[in-house]
Amino acid sequence: MQPTTMDSILSLKHLRKHFESQKAVDDISLEIERGQIFGLLGPNGAGKTTLIRMITGIFYPDQGDIFFEGKKFDPLVDVAKIGYMPEERGLYKKMKVGEQALYLAQLKGLSRQAAKQKIENWFGRFGMESWWDKKVEDLSKGMGQKLQFVTTVLHDPSLIILDEPFSGLDPVNSNLIKDEIFRLAQEGSTIIFSTHRMEQVEEICNHIALVNKGQKILDGTVQAVKQQYKQHQYSVSGEGLNKLSMNQAPFTVVSQKDNTLIIQIAAQHNSSTVLRFLLEQNVEISAFHELLPSLNDIFIQLVGNTPTARTFEKI
Amino acid sequence: MKKTWIIIEREYLTRVRKKTFVISTLLFPLLYVALIGGMGFIAEKSKETLTVAVIDSSGYFTKEAIEAENQVDPSSSLVLLSNAPEQSKQDEESGYDGYIEIPSLNWQQGNDSLVFKTYKSYGSASTGVVEAKLNRIWRRLLNDSLQLDMRKQMIMAQSKIGLVTKNISDEQANSATAEGIGYFAGFLVYFILLIYGSQVMMGVMEEKTNRIAEVIVSSVRPFQMMLGKILGIGAVALTQFLIWIVFVFVVYNVGIKSGTSMGFMAEAVGGVQRMIGSVNVPLILGCFAFYFLGGFFFYASLYGAIGSAVNEDMREAQSLSFPITMLVILSIAIMTAAVANPTGPVAVWGSIIPFSSPIVMMARIPYGVPGTVPLWQLGLSMALLIAGFLFTVWFAGKIYRTGILMYGKKVTWKEMIRWAFTKG
Repeated sequence: MQPTTMDSILSLKHLRKHFESQKAVDDISLEIERGQIFGLLGPNGAGKTTLIRMITGIFYPDQGDIFFEGKKFDPLVDVAKIGYMPEERGLYKKMKVGEQALYLAQLKGLSRQAAKQKIENWFGRFGMESWWDKKVEDLSKGMGQKLQFVTTVLHDPSLIILDEPFSGLDPVNSNLIKDEIFRLAQEGSTIIFSTHRMEQVEEICNHIALVNKGQKILDGTVQAVKQQYKQHQYSVSGEGLNKLSMNQAPFTVVSQKDNTLIIQIAAQHNSSTVLRFLLEQNVEISAFHELLPSLNDIFIQLVGNTPTARTFEKI
Repeated sequence: MKKTWIIIEREYLTRVRKKTFVISTLLFPLLYVALIGGMGFIAEKSKETLTVAVIDSSGYFTKEAIEAENQVDPSSSLVLLSNAPEQSKQDEESGYDGYIEIPSLNWQQGNDSLVFKTYKSYGSASTGVVEAKLNRIWRRLLNDSLQLDMRKQMIMAQSKIGLVTKNISDEQANSATAEGIGYFAGFLVYFILLIYGSQVMMGVMEEKTNRIAEVIVSSVRPFQMMLGKILGIGAVALTQFLIWIVFVFVVYNVGIKSGTSMGFMAEAVGGVQRMIGSVNVPLILGCFAFYFLGGFFFYASLYGAIGSAVNEDMREAQSLSFPITMLVILSIAIMTAAVANPTGPVAVWGSIIPFSSPIVMMARIPYGVPGTVPLWQLGLSMALLIAGFLFTVWFAGKIYRTGILMYGKKVTWKEMIRWAFTKG
């Protein structure tokens, strides 16, 4: 188990995929390291699904190369090491839960016996032992999602791709899946996590890339991205803030509530000059901290003016 | 290849275990028995009273003997004539339904193949009466001229009169059999193509509607997925057929063994026996297997492509599959022409061109190979059908790959053809 070795499990080099008159993916390069929980973000129609379909071997790129575990990606072989839970997902409704899981595991190349053992393990972990002979159509939506997750990770993939994994799950089951995601990453699996839900990304991911109009517009650790897009806003709490003389203040007040100010530091100034100014004004500071933008803010700032269902650019 | 096999297995097992499969497999033989029984019943009902002229050169069949027999059983009557009906009157106007010429017989051997010449075709229920009358006269005659002991009884048992019916208005009585088998085989292929073809379409639509398609194609190539489905459902069709053939074989043999004890059932079996005696059964079965599978691959892949392109909407599926269904129906129209004239140009070309060959060729083959269907035509037709289904499977695979992951868009044939011929 190597939680955070810095080797790259997946490397995309200048990938392009054009459909008829649409540039779905237009020159995207990415490095994803082993053990990372990587957030792949973007508005609807940004090209995320096309990108993921190339990584899972469903589409061949028109141009560019994919390297998986250091070697050129061979869909016929490497799909056995990838687990993909698409956004558009489902199961055979008339099939029994156990048979369904066995079938999908065998398609990933597991033998029947090995698959059966792993399924029993997972079913035990998720409290699904009694489901084996149930029909999929008799499961609730949440139960179906749990089964879907199990079938995705059953074959111990080294790369797990989850597209909106929490949709249809109640908070209890969301947490269950979230814990499994952390555990799998701990044990060395790499997870690509695609979603629109930014609060989940902040909670789960350590690295993100933002895709828009088929191009990568942002790539970095969550912390680095937040630093990059910070607005130089601080929250100040203390006594005497309401008697401030704003003459020559190195900041402007964004909002005020009781004894707390949200301030915007003016250009060419920094937190030290602000603190010095406040102390000179005899403010008794009880709290002072920087406000970093949420990923949601950054997302909206970067892609906010893109229509959600973009019309593809003509080639 | 191993994955394709896993898919075939699932497609096969889920269908074979279904109640509808069991029911339809059992229902057909029941219908079959009902049909055979019905045929016997109709034969019994349609028994006709015949007036038959007997022209006796042997001197055994005396006027007295015949009249005595007519009184015992008035259902068909024999009339003794000294000459054959005049040539000009050898038809219905002669007043007789047919005539039998009895040559000078040796009473110790009888005659196993007297010819009963008729102007129309009569069922064995009607001609059987005539045969029975002749045999009763013959037996009485033997009784009279023999002092019965064991040896003589044995001679009597061996010595009897058999009757072969020959329709002199239509020398090709066998062509009716060929026509019947041709129609039957052609329609059978037709039903298989439509029923199992639409099963492939529904199966693909189910995968798309259930949203499992993308899950599966992240493990196997879309082409394997499609091929697995087609082969799996083809195997289901084949299984059903093998069960039926075994069933027919068993019923037929039981029918033969039970002999006359089952009345009209035995007669029906006899009819089937005579019918298949006049055609090449192994050849027909072999060709049937080939054309059924070839035609199935040809059409099922097209239906699969449609299933992949449409959304949940059944009407959309129906309108897209309309041209394909029309091809199958057109084949039936060509088949009708082919049965009427099995060597005409429509029949020949219809049985060679792949889209109609599975149905049309099956209708022509019972007429005889290489008599009606020269070997080169059969060979060319088979080669083209193989080439044809390889093409449609390839073509469908390209459409399938794009269609199976596309939601919410209404697709036309024009677009589907474009998918097939673009790279990627």
